[in-house]
Amino acid sequence: MGIFSEIFSWWGGNTWGTRLTIARQGRFVGSDSFGNRYYEQLKGVGPEGPLGRLRRWVTYTKLADPSKVPPEWHGWLHYTVDTPPTEERYVAKPWQKPHVPNMTGTPQAYRPAGSILAAGQRPKATGDYKPWRPD
Amino acid sequence: MPKQLIIDGKEITVEDGITLLQACEQAGAEIPRFCYHERLSIAGNCRMCLVEVQGSPKPVASCAMGVNDLPPNRDNTPKVISTKSATVKKAREGVMEFLLINHPLDCPICDQGGECDLQDQAMAFGAGGSRFEENKRAVEDKYLGPLIKTSMNRCIHCTRCVRFMTEIAGVEELGAIGRGEDMEITTYLERGILSEMSANVNDLCPVGALTHRPWAHNARPWELRKTESVDVMDAVGSAIRIDVRGREVMRILPRNNDAVNEEWISDKTRHVADGLRTQRLDQPYVRKDGRLVSASWQEALALVAAKLKAASGDRIAAIAGPLAGAEEMFALKDLFHRLGSTNVDCREDGAKLDPAAGRASYIFNSTIEGIEHADAILLIGTNPRLEAAVLNTRIRKRWRQGGLAIGLIGEQVDLTYPYDYLGSGGQTLRDLADGKHAFAAKLQAAKAPLIIVGSAAIARTDGQAVLAAAARIAVAATQGKDPAWNAFNVLHAAASRVAALDLGFVPAKPASTGVDSFVAAAETGALDVLFLLGADDIDMSRLSKTFVVYQGSHGDAGAHRADVIFPAAAYAEKSATYVNTEGRAQMTAKAAFPPGDAREDWTIIRALSPLVGHTLPYDSINVLRAGMYKAAPALAAIDRVAPAEIKAVAALASVKGTVKDEPFRAAVKDFYLTNPIARASAVMAEMSALKKAAGKAAGLAAAE
Repeated sequence: MGIFSEIFSWWGGNTWGTRLTIARQGRFVGSDSFGNRYYEQLKGVGPEGPLGRLRRWVTYTKLADPSKVPPEWHGWLHYTVDTPPTEERYVAKPWQKPHVPNMTGTPQAYRPAGSILAAGQRPKATGDYKPWRPD
Repeated sequence: MPKQLIIDGKEITVEDGITLLQACEQAGAEIPRFCYHERLSIAGNCRMCLVEVQGSPKPVASCAMGVNDLPPNRDNTPKVISTKSATVKKAREGVMEFLLINHPLDCPICDQGGECDLQDQAMAFGAGGSRFEENKRAVEDKYLGPLIKTSMNRCIHCTRCVRFMTEIAGVEELGAIGRGEDMEITTYLERGILSEMSANVNDLCPVGALTHRPWAHNARPWELRKTESVDVMDAVGSAIRIDVRGREVMRILPRNNDAVNEEWISDKTRHVADGLRTQRLDQPYVRKDGRLVSASWQEALALVAAKLKAASGDRIAAIAGPLAGAEEMFALKDLFHRLGSTNVDCREDGAKLDPAAGRASYIFNSTIEGIEHADAILLIGTNPRLEAAVLNTRIRKRWRQGGLAIGLIGEQVDLTYPYDYLGSGGQTLRDLADGKHAFAAKLQAAKAPLIIVGSAAIARTDGQAVLAAAARIAVAATQGKDPAWNAFNVLHAAASRVAALDLGFVPAKPASTGVDSFVAAAETGALDVLFLLGADDIDMSRLSKTFVVYQGSHGDAGAHRADVIFPAAAYAEKSATYVNTEGRAQMTAKAAFPPGDAREDWTIIRALSPLVGHTLPYDSINVLRAGMYKAAPALAAIDRVAPAEIKAVAALASVKGTVKDEPFRAAVKDFYLTNPIARASAVMAEMSALKKAAGKAAGLAAAE
């Protein structure tokens, strides 16, 4: 993250304020396979968290994309579990798929069945006819 | 004796013999009904038409009560009838409640929804709610063939379908078993109904018990655009309504026309709808190196124009098929005449008809309505059940009234009514023409005899003689009778034929030339260009030495052989004039747009004309029609039929010729596959296969 993009697209990643707050109040808990880093608020510092809990933060490696938080860290980040995955033996289920970022706006964007932008056979519609072909 | 009645306080005089329901309608009262239908016998089993009659202790079912049966009042004052009293209202609510006891509440998934008599009448005449808390009756669905979808839970036992099949269609395949709550409508054997008119029961069914299977759950009636048009599947010209959503024809339903089809249409007319979206020609094609490749209109038109310009007038020819409209035939004939050619012909089957002999020599002079006045009918080489199914129901209707002698020369087939089988071939016809046959006496004795000649009989090599013999029989049979009654009738099978003959779409010397000579010339290479206007029923293998242009809506035999294909509109996609077999000019309406690059037929010929250097002088259909009406005034009388000069029949009778002995063959072999549109339809193919299988089974049973 260069200084230039820091100034002109501050919303793309962690801001100065975030980094300053985390440095002052946070405790590093661990990082995931994408390089995202997870922090927890130190006791007694800052405002009281929701329901009196300590705040938990994530800082992203590149673009801030919340869908990039893996399921194991998602659980910890949202107070579903209190033990971070680094402190337990976490094994992914076989049906869990690798993360795919949101592709909307790109050529790989999701097209529902029947979309005229999708390739392949579109479903039958009123006004369709079967043309005659010579062979 | 006319009868005086007071209906809802209104005094009216009604004619003798009508029912109380009809009298109430004449007085302007609306009577709800399910089982009663004007064209069927009276059953009186739904009880919805109850009215209150003065002096009667209970409400009376008005459909089954004749006005003559009402007992007179003692003081001879007119009977007072009430259709709006509290008693009637309560009685109707009670009947409706009973009907709804066993009727499922599945209107949201029912195809009849929106055009359902029960729905409408429950809203208008029913009670607000139901007091029924027990289980409803359940009935197994029956298989009635590929055209009729059944949902027998919904049946209210009006028996309209049973009465239609028995009385109008003449096929006793539908009936009711069980009594009371256990009554079920069934075919007994659970095989498809084999009648050409079977799908009419879907219209008659007042609920959703019988619906159309081919377009089941496709559309709701309120989202369809309705266009009133005319059918071209046969030469009867039945009145139809084409229902369209977007640019797709969703369904075809009958329209009332008492002079032609009453309110029935044949299964082919109705269910050919899916043929309008398959095998469509949607772009011009040009044959290059033996293969048809898609081309632009400019390219295709320029190629054809170059070929037509290079050829001399006697080396080009045009044949019009069964579905061609009068407008395009007029334009094509006009173009060919400007190119110096009279080689145009509409008699694809080789019929020996000559428009020069007068209009009476090729139309159904007695008219379809006139069948009801006939008291003796002679059928020559025709099977009206397949060639004109709706007309056949008219003959059956007349036969049911009694006192009708019917004789048939030709194939011995089931016509749904009994007839005297006179013989198979020319011998019988010759005997009849000479007055030697016993049936000739019956025709003599008849007040209004009717001679019907089939289109196959006059397409034989001795067709001229057959026509003359039939005319002789007609002249002999009408001798000294009502001079306005013309007994001579030609029953055509092709919708385009009469209009084409009216326009003179025949060669200059029809006797010597015609389709046969065109094809023979094409075979020897004596013909440079052959223009097929939707003509598919000629032997394409003989056309290999000529340049074939095919203009039509569907890819059939003609398109496979063609060197250039002009894609054109089908009958539902253009406004064109068709003249039915009785000479009634009728106009189709444009219900949808033709697919892809296809264009209306006359515009294609108009676009071709400047390229060959003879621009046709019409830029709009109205200008074209003005010219056409000048050339053939009979076409201008839309929806009317003017009697043709009867002298033509007498002239025809004097034509010499001997009828050969060979037996007459039917014009229609497979009812369901007579034209390119029907052959493209999957429903028609299914019906054809079903009929063949049933015929085979019947053959096996007969052999055992």
